[in-house]
Amino acid sequence: MRASYLTRRRLLATVVALLAALLVSIAATSLVGPVHASLRRALGPGGPSTPDYVIIVRTRLPRVLLGAVVGGSLSAAGAALQALLQNPLAEPHLLGVSSGAAVAGMVALIAGADPVSPLVPAAAFAGALGTMALVYLAARAHGRTTPHAILLVGVVCNAIAAAAIMLVNAIASYAQARGVLFWIMGALSTQSYALVALVAVYALAGLGWLVAHAQSLNLFAAGDEGAQQLGVDVEGARRSVFVAASLLVAAAVSVSGMIGFVGLIVPHLLRLVLGPDQRLLLPASFLGGAVFLVWADAAARTALGPAELPVGVVTALVGGPFFVFLLRRRLARTLP
Amino acid sequence: MRAACATLLVLATVGCAPVPSGAGGGPPARVVSLAPSLTEIVWALGAGERLVGVCAQCDYPPAVAALPRVGGYLAPSVEAVIGVRPDLVVVVPSPGNREAVRALERVGVRVLVVHDRTLDDLRASVRALAGALGLTAAGERLVADVDHGLAAVHARVAGLPARRVLLVVGHSPLVVAGAGTLQDELLTIAGGTNVAADAGQAWPQVAPELVVARAPEVIVDAAMGTEAGGHDLFAGLTTVPAVRDGRVVALRGDALFRAGPRVVEAAEALVRAIHPEAGG
Amino acid sequence: MTPALEAEGLVFAYDGRRVLDGVSLRVAPGELVGVIGPNGCGKTTLVRLLSGVLMPHAGTVRLAGRPLAGHRRREIARRLAVLPQDPHLDASFTALEVVLMGRAPHLPPLALPRREDVAISRAVLARLGVAALEGRPLDRLSGGERQRVLLGRALVQEPDVLLLDEPTTHLDLRHQAGIYDVVDAIRRERGTAVVSVLHDVSLAAARCDRLVLLAAGRVAGEGPPAAVLTAEALSAAYGVPVTVGWSPEARAPIVLARGRSGV
Repeated sequence: MRASYLTRRRLLATVVALLAALLVSIAATSLVGPVHASLRRALGPGGPSTPDYVIIVRTRLPRVLLGAVVGGSLSAAGAALQALLQNPLAEPHLLGVSSGAAVAGMVALIAGADPVSPLVPAAAFAGALGTMALVYLAARAHGRTTPHAILLVGVVCNAIAAAAIMLVNAIASYAQARGVLFWIMGALSTQSYALVALVAVYALAGLGWLVAHAQSLNLFAAGDEGAQQLGVDVEGARRSVFVAASLLVAAAVSVSGMIGFVGLIVPHLLRLVLGPDQRLLLPASFLGGAVFLVWADAAARTALGPAELPVGVVTALVGGPFFVFLLRRRLARTLP
Repeated sequence: MRAACATLLVLATVGCAPVPSGAGGGPPARVVSLAPSLTEIVWALGAGERLVGVCAQCDYPPAVAALPRVGGYLAPSVEAVIGVRPDLVVVVPSPGNREAVRALERVGVRVLVVHDRTLDDLRASVRALAGALGLTAAGERLVADVDHGLAAVHARVAGLPARRVLLVVGHSPLVVAGAGTLQDELLTIAGGTNVAADAGQAWPQVAPELVVARAPEVIVDAAMGTEAGGHDLFAGLTTVPAVRDGRVVALRGDALFRAGPRVVEAAEALVRAIHPEAGG
Repeated sequence: MTPALEAEGLVFAYDGRRVLDGVSLRVAPGELVGVIGPNGCGKTTLVRLLSGVLMPHAGTVRLAGRPLAGHRRREIARRLAVLPQDPHLDASFTALEVVLMGRAPHLPPLALPRREDVAISRAVLARLGVAALEGRPLDRLSGGERQRVLLGRALVQEPDVLLLDEPTTHLDLRHQAGIYDVVDAIRRERGTAVVSVLHDVSLAAARCDRLVLLAAGRVAGEGPPAAVLTAEALSAAYGVPVTVGWSPEARAPIVLARGRSGV
């Protein structure tokens, strides 16, 4: 049974506990991979010239850290969107922003950019921002938006983007089409601490922006009019949260493709345990999503022996059944 | 994902056994090829003038550019194929063309399904196509040419120690050639040992750390895109001999990915990458 | 004395159809004004205009003498609270969390509830007789308990004006009386002005200082209950024969619709 309201003490205790769990997870999964690497050798004398050092410090750790940032971003965005749209099924890729990123990234790939060059994430990010603006403007009438309209326009954008991806696949060469599909499926792969740092700073700024609107998100539970009557500038808050969540998703998708389910499962799980107060749920979702994706990626690295699974496969395989479990639990509770 | 594709490919073949020509009379005069590798084989057999339609990805030899396109390699258009009135359609099984093949057979078009995943597939498909086109002798000559060509390439590296090689086909995620692929065979002929041969899949996705652990002496980067990408990907892996010794070699072109007559060219290109000292 | 809330000449139309056509209304501090009228006469639209979530096409609403349009949303929420007719609810919030939401206009956007906010909220829950339920999620409460929690949310806003939109529709007699008892106490203690939309005309007669009878978007009668609730006025407004009696205990009229086949 959770407490009847959010105290500062509970907020701090939860955030500190999750932060500790994240640090432990980062350390632990940095030692997990398809090949054995010894931390002692890596940090011992002559360490930097050992394969162990190259494996742990140059390939694994940046990837683990990127997984943490991406998982946190997707999950926090999911929590915010579920509250913003007052829809438990809302998730980061529903807004159309990810598809916009996918289409723009795909165009860059087809035009000849390499998937590991900075050009592709840059194009994806630009595509995401463009789609975000498009969705927001299309969902607006008389200076107002409704959650309903945002959802619908987002879903339509996804359908258009999916069609565009299929179209390009039909006319591109086989090798190009395959490259695009793998890129879209999502992968955490970087050796650049600079990229991780850039995305991390950006993600924390986005999270901060969301947390600043956490109370408004809580009050959205009272409906648009209810929230206004409780003092919320509904349109302004909605625009802010929509933009902040979209920016988080844009960054995550640009560097890692469409990794699904993190943004749906983690906020739901934490909501069950911690309650719906966004002031706690947002930071907790960020940290919880980071922990989840770091471990999912460790499983993706190791499950098939020397080969690895796309991380999206792991999140969906773990997340899908778990989501059904949650849904059944909720049904059992609300239906007589 | 790749494993699933492979399974689908196998399943797709089961239902698509070649149907003998119902039209009767001489060898087919109007041929549609639905795969780049098969287009090249038909051309090499000297039957290029019989082609009346090719797939959108068929681009070699350059003369095929003038032929009508009848849809994609993965998803051909049944209507477009029927529209060019072929009396033989040659095709490689894929999940996307299974229904199209069935539809063509239902309307009485003769469809020949062959595989293009290994050198043995290549020999078999050359003979099958040659047989269907009434060019059996040309088929045997082509198989012999390919075998002699590959043997000659192999002879150049015969005295040299096999080098440990990683053959990269995709950068993000990192996808490499595994065992059981045409590329693995060509790599062996060119005097290499595939360090990803034990990955258990034809096209395994691998973590960069596996590259560090397997320490290839040569990395052949056959991924699409710019060379800078491969450089960024491997530059940090300083303990890998290929990176240390500057043997990350970009390989462009489609020859390596087509079980067609140009496999000899592809093997030569691999020798230049793996054993530049062998000259040639 | 400045009215706590004052509306003048309100006009509002949906898709060109006038729902309110020149409605004026004023409520003094501590006063309870009841708004009655048939379905579709514009009662709920009036509440939405008075709370500022809708803007009138003509006319003005003044809160403590200042036009509503000149207030920021948070300012309005500190002075005016609403108990809506069909509240949207995220049922996973606890009763106490829902009541604490009423403190939001008094807190900086990032702040957690302070000790005093929790104390105020618990006191209100206790006064409404649902203190024991503070930790329960809303979906585990009965309709009556929920309505009281939502009234609690409006009360902890500590408003000068309280708008109630049919607060007792789903409640039994005891809870109907209970809600208005609490409202009466708040009026006495804090001088809160209350505007309440009521379906039940007899209840309106028994509890309100003054009544406004709306019919077809216009004020069809205004004044003390006994003056407004005449058989003629009600029959005309509701389009059905009406009997008006008198309860000596309540010292208020009792209204009964006879139906067309009537007595």
